Amino acid sequence: MQDASRANTSSDGSPMIACDGVWKVFGQNSDVALRDMRDNGLTRAEILEKHNCVVAVADATFKVARGETFCIMGLSGSGKSTLIRLINRLIDPSLGQIVVDGTDLGPLSEVRLRRVRSDKIGMVFQNVALLPFRTVTENVAFGLEVRKVAKSERLATAERVLKTVGLAEWGDRYPSELSGGMQQRVGIARALAAEPEIILMDEPFSALDPLIRRQLQDEFIDLATRLGKTTVFITHDPDEAVRVGNRIAIMRDGRIIQIGTPEDIVLRPVDDYVSNFVAGISHLHLVKAHSVMFPASEFAAAHPRIDLSRLPSVAPDADVRELMSLSVDRNEDFIAVKEGSVVGVVTRRSLLNGILGREVSDMTSNSGDPMTGTGGQAWIG
Amino acid sequence: MDRVSFVAKLDDAVQFGLDWLYTNGAWFFDAIDDGLGEVYSGIEWMLLSPPYWVMVVLFGLLGWKTVGVTFALLAGAGLLGCAVMGLWDETMSTLALVLSSVVIALIIAIPIGIVAGLKAGVNRYVQVAVDVIQTIPPYIYLLPGVALIGYGPATAMTATIIVAISPALRLTALGIQLTPLELVELGRANGASSMQMLFKIRLPLARPSIMTGINQSLMVSVGMVVIAGIVGAEGLGFVIYEAIRTLDIGKAIDGGISIVIVTMVLDRISQGLGAEGAMAAQ
Repeated sequence: MQDASRANTSSDGSPMIACDGVWKVFGQNSDVALRDMRDNGLTRAEILEKHNCVVAVADATFKVARGETFCIMGLSGSGKSTLIRLINRLIDPSLGQIVVDGTDLGPLSEVRLRRVRSDKIGMVFQNVALLPFRTVTENVAFGLEVRKVAKSERLATAERVLKTVGLAEWGDRYPSELSGGMQQRVGIARALAAEPEIILMDEPFSALDPLIRRQLQDEFIDLATRLGKTTVFITHDPDEAVRVGNRIAIMRDGRIIQIGTPEDIVLRPVDDYVSNFVAGISHLHLVKAHSVMFPASEFAAAHPRIDLSRLPSVAPDADVRELMSLSVDRNEDFIAVKEGSVVGVVTRRSLLNGILGREVSDMTSNSGDPMTGTGGQAWIG
Repeated sequence: MDRVSFVAKLDDAVQFGLDWLYTNGAWFFDAIDDGLGEVYSGIEWMLLSPPYWVMVVLFGLLGWKTVGVTFALLAGAGLLGCAVMGLWDETMSTLALVLSSVVIALIIAIPIGIVAGLKAGVNRYVQVAVDVIQTIPPYIYLLPGVALIGYGPATAMTATIIVAISPALRLTALGIQLTPLELVELGRANGASSMQMLFKIRLPLARPSIMTGINQSLMVSVGMVVIAGIVGAEGLGFVIYEAIRTLDIGKAIDGGISIVIVTMVLDRISQGLGAEGAMAAQ
């Protein structure tokens, strides 16, 4: 599990959200059912049959760094909606610890828990959940109103936040007058207005048509980066997860089966389920130069006559698309990867394998490539 | 013990219970008589002290604000008709009975409806009570009223209040229950307290349902108040009751027309008030 590249870790480096061994089992005798699953290794289906309990989340452990966008991806029924509600304790965990910004939510009183929710955690819902009898501005001001911020102040804040989501002109309208995409922008503005450090996004764009969805994704990425919010983003759409997430957790039947960067998930899926899930995603902007290069020293050993300093060069995080266009435009078989000095070389063959998202063995077997036998390590990068 | 003697014993027991209540609860029923009587005469005084044409204009304005111009003119004309038929005082007495009963009924029904809407356990019992109240023929409530409180408007009001509680209570509870789950979740996710949840989310959303309940309570009250003419309540009910006893068909029809007018005015204005809330939610 790598750290997020975009995440700006705070000075003390502590995570914003830390879940440790979190379980949620619905139903009577959930304790017995939980123990049966954890200690005796029963499956989710067996638990349902034997105890009539639904295991929504099983042994979830993960950390979200400050400023990171953490995607939780899974099909419906995989437990992702339950998991996100455990983070602000809209649902109480059956077992396990959830720490938000250093505070263990478990022992908090109802009053203190409400304060954590109103001050620290914003939430955006799939169905938007705007109050139909309030104007757009009043909806955005809702969180501040709950916090008992004075009326003039909260309305001013709401109008300012509406401007940042591009709805400055719509404040006096009612939600029913807005399109679906605009309504969800209001939902995002509402979550931002209370200036929380964490935003929980529960499939916020799933109900929107593809064009609007993409546009809102871009706006969201921009906002999240600019405002430095820590975001937990739920989605069932792999393309969306890859676009917005610094890291992605994949859930299946209540368990997190893989956590990693988009590149990890796509190039190194832990099992067939994950690889099927992400099969449709284009690799071109995910695979970076540092993943497909050979170390400079090994390349130099194999090709002593090539002067590395004269090769066209890219940064280590240049994506495959950039490498392809450079290779074609310059008619070069080799491209140097520079980080200060030359750290590695991308060959035409390694580039093609990167485009295909091939495994290490595919690349190193059947080789006329000078790097046979060592390429595997370079591939892991 | 055969059946006849059982029934006789039951009747005796009921009679004994009433007697006991009458003797030992006199202070309580006197207080009801006085209290309700005061509320009624206060409202009646407000409606009757201005000249009738002032009231006609006021009702017209209210109708114009809540429904529209056409209705305002019709309502004004209708009420003027009541005055022309010589039934102005009786019409206002009936209106006073309805309004005072419904206001008291709502003060009881809406808070209980809210609690019932929030707590399924409470709701179970409340629904049973409301079912019983609604299945008993309404004029049955007049009997113990007459026995314990006596003839007069207080008995009419007691019976009317009992009947008027049910619709408002049911529809308030329903409106509160039907708060969409996602909006409850919105409140919780924002850290709303249960009071904030009630006043900022549940009640505003339940408003159309509550307004429909108020409208229905008004409607059953008008019916009840007319029946209450037989226990000595003043107003149109008494006019009709007297007309039936003396076979004065013309007078009975006048009274009937006045009741229709009062009913329509109350119905449309209360619906108009509900629609205002619903429009904001559109």
